[in-house]
This record gives sequence, C-alpha cells and structure tokens, in this order.
Amino acid sequence: MSSQTTSPTLQVCRSCGAGAPVDAHFCPQCSKILSLGRHGDYFAFMGLPRKLKIDSRLLEERFRGLSRQFHPDYFYNADPGERRASLERSSYLNDAYRTLRNPISRIEYLLKVEGLAPRGPEQASKQVPPALLEEVFALNEELDEIREQRAGGAPPDTWKPRLERARTPIEAKRADHESQLQKLSEQWDAAVDAKKGTDERRAVLTALRDRFLERNYINNLLTGIERDLNA
Amino acid sequence: MSKVVGIDLGTTNSLVAYVKDGAPAVIRDKSGDGLVPSVVSIDEGGTVYVGREAERRLLTDAGRTAYSVKRFMGKGIEDIRDEARHFPFRIGGEAGGVIRIGLGSREFTPPEISAFVLRELKHRAEGFFAEQGAVDNEVDRAVITVPAYFNDAQRTATRDAGRIAGLEVLRIINEPTAASLAYGLDKRHTGIIAVYDLGGGTFDISILRVEDGVFQVLSTNGDTHLGGDDIDVLLMDSVGAELARPGRAEHAPPLRSPESVQELRRAVIQAKWDLSDREETTLNGRRFARAEFESLIAPIVERTLGPCRQALADAGFQPSQIDEVVLVGGSTRIPLVRRRVEELFGKKPHSELNPDEVVALGAAVQADILVTGNREMLLLDVTPLSLGIETMGGVTSKIIMRNSTIPATGSEMFTTAVDNQTSVDIHVVQGERELVQDNRSLARFKLRGIPPMAAGLPRVQVQFQIDANGILSVTARELRTDVEQTIEVKPSYGLTDDEVERMLLDSFEHAEADFEARLLIEAKNEAESVMHATEKSLRAPDFAEIERAELAADERQKIESVLAGLKMVLNGNDRETIQKWTKALNDTTQHLAEVMMNRSVHAALSGKNVDQL
Repeated sequence: MSSQTTSPTLQVCRSCGAGAPVDAHFCPQCSKILSLGRHGDYFAFMGLPRKLKIDSRLLEERFRGLSRQFHPDYFYNADPGERRASLERSSYLNDAYRTLRNPISRIEYLLKVEGLAPRGPEQASKQVPPALLEEVFALNEELDEIREQRAGGAPPDTWKPRLERARTPIEAKRADHESQLQKLSEQWDAAVDAKKGTDERRAVLTALRDRFLERNYINNLLTGIERDLNA
Repeated sequence: MSKVVGIDLGTTNSLVAYVKDGAPAVIRDKSGDGLVPSVVSIDEGGTVYVGREAERRLLTDAGRTAYSVKRFMGKGIEDIRDEARHFPFRIGGEAGGVIRIGLGSREFTPPEISAFVLRELKHRAEGFFAEQGAVDNEVDRAVITVPAYFNDAQRTATRDAGRIAGLEVLRIINEPTAASLAYGLDKRHTGIIAVYDLGGGTFDISILRVEDGVFQVLSTNGDTHLGGDDIDVLLMDSVGAELARPGRAEHAPPLRSPESVQELRRAVIQAKWDLSDREETTLNGRRFARAEFESLIAPIVERTLGPCRQALADAGFQPSQIDEVVLVGGSTRIPLVRRRVEELFGKKPHSELNPDEVVALGAAVQADILVTGNREMLLLDVTPLSLGIETMGGVTSKIIMRNSTIPATGSEMFTTAVDNQTSVDIHVVQGERELVQDNRSLARFKLRGIPPMAAGLPRVQVQFQIDANGILSVTARELRTDVEQTIEVKPSYGLTDDEVERMLLDSFEHAEADFEARLLIEAKNEAESVMHATEKSLRAPDFAEIERAELAADERQKIESVLAGLKMVLNGNDRETIQKWTKALNDTTQHLAEVMMNRSVHAALSGKNVDQL
C-alpha cells in the first residue's frame, strides 16, 4: 500500500483535543506528550530528510535528544495516558534509530515507505535474481561436485581450496553491488535535493530495489558456503 | 512521604541503598555491614531466619537452609537437574513448571525465598530511616537489579519477588548498567565503557556509550549460570576427589551429612578469598598455592571471554576502542580474572568502587531519577535476547532482535488455516537459535475471539511490547473487524498473577512469626555483645589490679556466674529469658563498668596534667 500521496498532516491531542502537526511530539496547545496515533515515517519522526546519507553523529544526537524528551523514566509520575504515550513514542524512536543507523536497513526502510518493498522474505532470498543467473548456475554446479567429493570421503584439504575458489566470483559480485548501492543512494539523495519528479525518483528506487535484492541473495549464498567451510 | 530504595538482589549477598542529597549510599547494620547474605533458613518451629543468622544455620541445619536461589529464578526443574545435587535443600517441582524448594515441611518457589531476602532489606532500610528521624519511614517502592542477560521469565520472577515482599517494583534494571550509573556520577565522562560483572552466580558484559549524561547500552552478553558458585563447586569436587583417594580415608571420613558438605564449602570459599591477596593458603590440610587455584579455575574464567568478544562484535568495536573497563561483582577480586580482563581489553580495569556495592548504589540513583524526575542522567538499556515466535516446522521467527534499545515493539500478522477458526495458538520464545526447541520458551497463548471467516481471511496483528524493564506484554487486534483479541498468557516458568497475590497474603499470615523471629535474633545479638564486652573487661591486663583495689570480694564470681547463665540460655530460643539474663548481666557489671570508666577518665586527665606541666 503506497500512502505517501495521501499521508495525513495533522494529529489530534488526546489530552486537550487540539490539532497538532503530524511530526510534532508534544501538543502545541497543552504541551503534553502526544500519543502515537498518526505519525510520520522514521525519517520525519527524527527530523531528518528522506535521504540515504545520514551523518551518524547527527543521528546519535537526535536519538539522545528525543530519548531525553520522552523516555518512560521521565513520565513515572504522569497520568496513565501520558505514560502510555511516552512508552509508544520511545518504542517508535528506538525502532527508528535502529533502522536508520544501519545503511542496509535504511535502504530497505526507504523502499518500504516509498511503496517498493520486496514482497516478503521469499522474494528476497529464494528466487534467483535474473542478473545473477549465470554466476549462480556455475556456482551450483561446482558446489554439487564438491558435495559429491565430500560424500566420497575426500579430506578437507582437497575440497576446501576448491570451495574457496568457487566463491571468489560471487564475492567480486558482492563488492560490485555494494558500490552500486552506494552510487544509487547518492543518486537518490541528489534527486531529493533537486526536487526531481516522481518518474525519475521511481527509476532510481527501482534500480536500488533490484540491486538490494541481488545483494541479499548473494549474502545468503556466501553464508551458505561459509557454513559448508566450517562444517 | 514513604521512601524509595535501590536493591541489588544478588546470588550470594544482597544490599539496599538510597540517595541522600544527590549522593547514593549503602544502608548498613549497626556494625557497618552492608551485605545481607541471600540465605533463608526455617527452623522446626517455622521461624524464618534471613542473612547472617541463616548463613550460620547452614552449618547446623543445612537441610532447612536455602542459598543461591537466584540461580533458580524463572527456571524449571529440568534446567537445574545437574546441579541440584550440590545443594543441601530439597529441589523439586513438576516438569515444565516452576521450581519448588523444600525447607522442612514447607515448600517455596524461588520468588518466595527471594521475597524473604527483600523483606529483610526493606526492614533494614525502614529501621535506618526511622533512626534518621523520618516521619514516614515506610519503604514501599524499589528499583531491583537483575543480570543483564536475564530472560523475560527471570525478570518477571524477580518482579514477582518484589511484589510478594510488599514492594512496588519501580523498575527492573540491569546490574552492569546500574554499576555504570554509579561510576558515572562523579566523572562527567564521555566515551565507550565495558562493564565486566562476575558475581556469585551470573556473568554479564555490557558495552555502553556515555555522552551528554545518557548511558546508552550498545550491546550486552553473558551467562546466567556462571559465577563464584561454580568456582566453589569445582574446588569442592577437587577436594572430594582427594578425600576419596585410597590412604586418605582414615584421615578424613567421607562427607556424609549436608552440614559437613557446608563445612567444606565454607573452607573452599575461605581459601578462594585468601588467594585473592596471598600467594598461598591451606585447604584440606595441605598447602594450596595460587598457581594451582588458577589452573583449576582457568576454564571458568575462559568462559567469560567468549561473551565479551560477542558483545564487542555486536557493538561494532575492537577491544582497543574501549575507553574504560569497569569491574563489578565479588568474583572480580580474583587476580586471574583481573589479568584476563586486562589482557583482553589492553587496559587496566577500574575498581575504585567496592565491586560488591556499586550495583546497589546505581539502583538507588535510578530510583531517585524515577521519583524525582531528575533529568541529569538517562539510562537506555537493551534487550539481551531476541524475541521470536514459533512458526511452521518448529522454526523461530525473530520479531525483536537482541541488543534492541528498550522499550521496543514488534508485530506479526497471523491468519487462520481452516474456515471459521476462531482461535490461533501462539508460542513465544527468547534466544538466538534457529529452532524453537533450542530457545527459551516464554509463554504460550491462544488468540481467541477471531470473527468466523473463511480460512486465511482474518488478519490478526499481534503486537509485542518489551517495556523499559525488559519485560514482555502482548496485545492483538483483528484488523478487518478492528476487534481487540483476548490473550491469556500462560508463562512457561512463571507464576500467574493469582499465585503472586496468594503468596503475598501468605506472607502476611507468616509475618507475625517472622516478626517474633526478628525480635529473637535482635535479643541474641544484644546478649552476645554484652557478653563479649564483659569477657573483654575480665581479660583486661589491669583487671587484677582493679579487682584488688575497687571490687567487692565476690563481685567477679557473681559476674562470672551470670555470664555462664546467659551463655546457657543463649543456646535456647526463649527470647524473654535471654532478655532477662542479658539485663541481669548488665546490672551485675554496672559497678565494674563505672570503675573502669572512672579509671580511664582519670588516666586521661592526669595525662593532660602531665602535658601541661
């Protein structure tokens, strides 16, 4: 569900009934903490532009600053409504901080709020992305042979080097993807800064999503090989 | 206004602290002792003893005395079968349920035993505040600490213990984090801190970032079954093996009674303590050198290093990036532990604050923050273990990842498998493993009240909330109809609210007996101190001269006979008789005391005269 075109701009204070901007944390009228009804996305919640490059020191500062505003410790003597609001807002802040802190989960989250989320984990890991078909095919053939070798009782020093060799091209692919993700992230930020139109943004996001899914697939492959090596 | 305190509910010892004028302090007994041994003993008459008195009873009535009960909090019988043999008290309980500890004819759950210790601390604090002249000296609220690596069941059990003891538990906080608060007080430092906490029964490592007064835990790891107790058991087994060797039997008979086992336990603990500041001691009638001790316990110390490395990796740091290392817990007095920690982090660890007291001090600071709204400092902790639910094939699907800052939420969508199904079973687990069976079962519950619909149509959103205590609550809502679902959570290893309520009532019922026990203990302590003072006077070097010059002919004899009488009644448990004899001894020695006082005043005055001349 893509809702960014109709996203609400106002929320209602449950203490005094006044309207407040959706990204406000405290009611401008009665100054009480707002319950987490309508709220902005993680970027907006932390007062950050919806961009992929985030100054980590700024993020940490915002996190500490907002924690100091609505941590449950500071609402211990408040009424139950405010206590609940503080718990909800702190939980959401902690989720936002954790998600935005990591560059990969940040991309994943951006894709989600832009309506381009991968459909469930199946799509993310099971299907071979078309761009990787060739490498994956070659790797699987090699892996099958190595497995046969191992089943036949071959000592590790005969198949381990082979396994190491087999993963080299995939590792190169991963490095390539990391740098592509980096480049696409910069393109996205530039498009946001230049206030580019929907089509142009969409194109960057689609490319970002495809590289992102491929990267996940590659990572899963490499984790599998790692497990084989250590077995 | 009633008082709030911070409590360190330890495996071996417990403490209570409070904040006065912004500075935390441990509340001590009259002799200056801040530690209350976490030991509970019940005699044939049903009288409950807690602390030092209970600890003494380990040597006379071991089967009715429980210690190290923290190891059993939130656990089931199948978790502790291997170690149950080391304890003199009965350990039972149904499979899949909470552990029961048998003392005499009564049975208790671990939270009930812990509640006795908490009540003792509550009394100690109330007595202290009364003495300070507080108008309202009642202690009804507390922050209680737990090992950072405690899971939900262990935290809940600790909170239940507080409730059974009649305390409102303001917050459960993690021990290493509490320690960092206490350390951070005087120094407004900024940086990355590692807190290494090796106590009597548990090990924790936490990595924190401290900046702008915010103590943010980045990662935590540990082992809730690793501590000084394991060292003691190892030493006991080693001595036991020595005793069993042929040719030794005639020197030392095999350990039969629980009391002799406790005697041995006390001896190995003493040897362990000795070797913290000496190169050698004696154990089991032979020389026991630090080198031998260290080679014995090296594997235990080694087990703490894996969690340290994992915590560092989770926080994204190399050991060299840690600015400061803080040691907490009595077991960090062991030189080998200090050495290994220093080697790992490449810097000398801090130990300025008493490692036994620093956790309670931090708990008091946190209690103060909660009730006063003091915003100078803020603690941001994490959940130590990932929270997940069981999915198809017994696989864990993680919903909240470990080391997430708390409070934290996570949600999961459920649907039905058959038409008109109105309930769904959900199994919540905690842990990092793939398979549900390898993780800790927290609770099973049924989502009820789902509106009848075709299979797969309902969309039930289950929301998991971990609060600032690290304790889980669950809510659910069917999104198509917006109907809130009822959830009955059956904790896997915990008590239901009703059970906690009943135990609280039980404790009131026994409160009178407990009160009488307290009076008896106080009477005995008083008697002992009068006896001690009298014996000291009789043995004073100038006593012979005093007697000749100033005492009546039969005065010494009279004193000695009353002293002997008091000694005899002290073996019994009749409080009034003990008090009567104590008073008699006081009266009989009054003249002697006056004489001695006069002499010392005279001596002081004459000394002064000499000076002035």
